[in-house]
This record gives sequence, structure tokens and C-alpha cells, in this order.
Amino acid sequence: MGTAREYTIDELMVVTLAKAFTSDDIILNGTVSFIPVSAVLLARATHAPGLTWVAGAVGVDAQPGSVIGNTLDPTMWKGCVMYLPQYEDMWSYVHRGTLETFCIRGAQIDQYGNINNSIIGSDYHKPKVRLPGSAGMGDMGSLDKRVFIWSTTHNPRTFVKKVDFRACVGWLDGGDSRAKLGLRNGPQLVITDLCVMDFEPNSKRMRLVSVHRGITPKQVQEQTAFELVMPASVPETPAPDAEYLRLLREVVDPKAMRKIEFRGSATKV
Amino acid sequence: MTARKEDKLVSLPQAAALVRDGDTIAMQGMGTQMSPLALVRELIRAGKRDLQVAMVVGGIGLDWMIAAGCVRKVLAIIINLDEFGMANNFRRAAEAQKLEIEEYTEHQILTRLGAGALGLPFGVTRSGLGSDVLSLHPDTTKVIECPFTGKPVIACRALEPDVAILHAHRADRFGNVQFFPKPIWADVDVFPRAAKKVIVTVEEIVENEEIRRTPIHTGIPYFKVDALVHVPYGAHPCSLFPKYNFDRTVFQRYADESRTPEGTRAFLDEFVYGLKTHDQYLAKLGGAAALKSLESWD
Repeated sequence: MGTAREYTIDELMVVTLAKAFTSDDIILNGTVSFIPVSAVLLARATHAPGLTWVAGAVGVDAQPGSVIGNTLDPTMWKGCVMYLPQYEDMWSYVHRGTLETFCIRGAQIDQYGNINNSIIGSDYHKPKVRLPGSAGMGDMGSLDKRVFIWSTTHNPRTFVKKVDFRACVGWLDGGDSRAKLGLRNGPQLVITDLCVMDFEPNSKRMRLVSVHRGITPKQVQEQTAFELVMPASVPETPAPDAEYLRLLREVVDPKAMRKIEFRGSATKV
Repeated sequence: MTARKEDKLVSLPQAAALVRDGDTIAMQGMGTQMSPLALVRELIRAGKRDLQVAMVVGGIGLDWMIAAGCVRKVLAIIINLDEFGMANNFRRAAEAQKLEIEEYTEHQILTRLGAGALGLPFGVTRSGLGSDVLSLHPDTTKVIECPFTGKPVIACRALEPDVAILHAHRADRFGNVQFFPKPIWADVDVFPRAAKKVIVTVEEIVENEEIRRTPIHTGIPYFKVDALVHVPYGAHPCSLFPKYNFDRTVFQRYADESRTPEGTRAFLDEFVYGLKTHDQYLAKLGGAAALKSLESWD
């Protein structure tokens, strides 16, 4: 399988996230999650045919073919084997941990992968900016999920030293603070419009893994308001395989719905 | 309130009169899906005040109510318009500190309602352990020690809303409410069981015999329903899966016009205050042919 020369950042983000998923994953998604849902469909169409996806947390093993509407919309439940009743069934599987993988983005993400999408400001009740709210991230952070974080706005306003409001629990204050609270799993990978990052296993601080084509580690650090764990050498994020790109463009997301997520991003796609 | 096996069919204004100023109302809805919006428009026209609105996901109806000055407090996990972006009036009211917001995780608010439905003082969850969400409502969520394992869990105080409002596919006159498919969303499931009063608007009224032929679709039994209103397309501009999709044109207009208070006011004048009945609303949308075009999911 050859790699492609011509690709855009949205395509690179989808393919990179897809490659992180395996046939063992059981994934559910929330609203406006075009990049994760594209990645799920792409992984399932390629290296991870056994991957289980619960579309919008409702449509079990849904087969909509392509991204045809908002990711929480009934259009995405097409071909599923069950509509999962939310109150009992979905929350049982989520609370106990059967549904284990979730993807999250937010207005603020800190060095330990804690996330905020509620307010900007020092006082919750007197916000400088009111955001939509914590939604599923407030649950998933504490309910033992393997969390994949994505962001199309890698800048110092999004990647902050400490979130103004910790809506979603990541690695808390780092080290073993998450484990001490009795919480399993946690944030795994962070995929942005500039780079890929993970978390250093002991300190749980965010660590640079690879930089996208044309981006330097120094640029990533400049766009990050906390000090990244910086390995001695940082490779370029592998270019997408040609076949993955073809499937993404022609089958998975032919309307390029994923580009909606780049509103307000400095990266043009 | 006792809900006997008797005719529950009322008009929208009669149903709205069951909601009192200051009530806590549990309102079904998502960003773009399944919400009793014909009734919401009626509540706005009736000038309701000081409502405390509990939802899982707040959307366009809640944003209208906030803009119209009906709402004192919101209990929810998120308020947005899905891919149409922010609920602008919610944002403005929050930033101007004119709205109380009790933000929960989804399983916290559902656990509160679940305890209310069971008549228990509280329920427990682990959702939100370690988060700042807990700090927002010490009177309703508290970390306690499990009496058996010693592990931390969150006690969520029972919530019994004064009234639940929902939109469904069909019902008979007694208020046997059916859903096609059966209840998927948590609000449809737990709101009517937790609330003291239940008002349901439906697309279609059928005979009791038809309900008895298809009891597998019944989600709420007559004894829990206080009032029923027949309003075809009563969730518009939200969707009612699988009958009709959300109205992209109206959502986009609202997303654009609600960027300013003046734009919001003009929108509400046109779609809410300026139309006194649901029939006028449907006529404004262009009648049967225009509504038929919403019945596509591709």
C-alpha cells in the first residue's frame, strides 16, 4: 500500500485516529464528532473490521455507509442491530465499562488531558465566555474510558496549563492521582491540527509523539501554553496510505462533513 | 394528580395552563431532535415566568424560552443546536448573569430523576468523580462512602419535576402514549415517571382498540398522563424519528438571526408571537406539501 503525497490536515487527522483503533475497540460517540466518526468508519473498512461502534450512543453496530448527518442524528443509526435505550441499557454498558472508548474535544485541554467545554473565566457563575456545557465528557472522564482527544485549534488558548473548569477528568493532577481516586483507563492520545501527542507514563504529562508535515516541534511548543515532554527526536506523522485516503474521500465522508470542525481553526482545509 | 381512564384530550392553551409560573418542568429534547415545541411556543405566548427547566440536552426550544424571559434556572448537561452551533440566547443570558445554571453530568441528572421516579431520597453514580461539576451543586450531589466497600460514590438527590412535557408519535384519548420505535432517549423514559404531572403532545390520535392491538409500542400508560394534545408536526423544527427530519432551513435561520437579541426578537415575532394557533404555524411552513419534504432521511 503506497502513501499519498497530496493530503490535507483533516484527512491526516482522520487517518491517524483511525489507525489508533483496533477490532477490539467498542466505541460510542457524541455530538459534532465528525473526525472520530469518520475514523471509526474508516478503521472498520480497513484494518479493524471487528470494531464495534454504537452510533450516537444509540445505533448498535450501525452501518450508515458514510457520514450523512450530524453524528448524534438518527440518520447515522442506519442498518444497526439495536436502538440502545439510553436510560437503562446505554448507561449500564457505559457505567460498568463495556463501552470503553470515547473521543472528546473541548475549548480547553490541559497538560494532564483534563478538558473544559463549560465556561472561560475564573468564576463559573460569572463567565467571560459561556460554552455549551460538559455533556458526555463529564461522565466519560470519570467512568473508566480510554479517551482519545482531538482538536482542530492547537493554540495556547486551547492547550492551557490548567483548565478554567475541570468538566472532564483526565489524568487529574498527574502521577497516580487518577488511580488514587479509583478511576481506570484515561486519556490515551491527542491528535491536533499540528501534531500527535500522548502522555508520559509516570508523570502523565502530555508528550509530543510526531509533528505533521511542515510543522516543527518548536512551533508546537510555541502554540502550547504548558511545557510539553519533548523526546530527543520527533518524527513526522506518517502520511496517509493511498487506499485509506481514497476510502475516506469516496466512501466514508464524501461530503467532507469533517471540515465543519475547522471553523475557527488557524489551519485551513 | 390522579389521572383516571378518561378523555385527556385538550387544546394547547388548556395544556399550557397546567404549567404554573415557578414550576420545575422536565422538557424532552436534544439539539435537533424530538421536543414538544408546539407546546413550548404556547408556553411562550402564555407568558410563563420563573420556570426551572430540567433537560438532558437543551436545544432550540430552551433557547427560545430563555430569550422570551420564561426561564429562571436551567438544569442540563449541555445546551446547543448540534451542528448549527451555540444556543446564542443561552450564552448571552449566562454571560449577563441573568440565568441560573445547574450543570450536571448526564448520569448525575438521570440519577436524580431516577430516584424521583422510584420515590427514593437519592440514587448513586460514579459519573463526575474528581470533576469540578460536583462543586456546582453541593445541595444535590455529594461524594459519600459506599457502606459496603468504602469506595467513593456520588449521592444524587431525588428530583421530582412539577410537570414533564413530551412529544410522541401517537396516543389514544386516555393517554396511552406510543412511540415508534419504543423509547430510546432517557428523557422519554424517566421524565414522565419522575414528574408529578405529565403533558404529552402527539402526532396522531388513535382508537383504544388500536393501542390494545399494539401494546408493545406503549411507553407511557394512561394513569401517568394528565393532558394530551393533538399536534401534527408538533416537534417542528426538530425531528421526530422516523416520521420527519429536522428543518434545516428554519434551524439555519435561527442560528443566524439569534446572533443578536433583535434578530431573535424578529424570529420569535414571526414564528411564535405572530402565530396564535398551531394550524397557523403549519400554514406558515407551507402546508402539507412542504412538510412532506421533511420526511426524508438521506
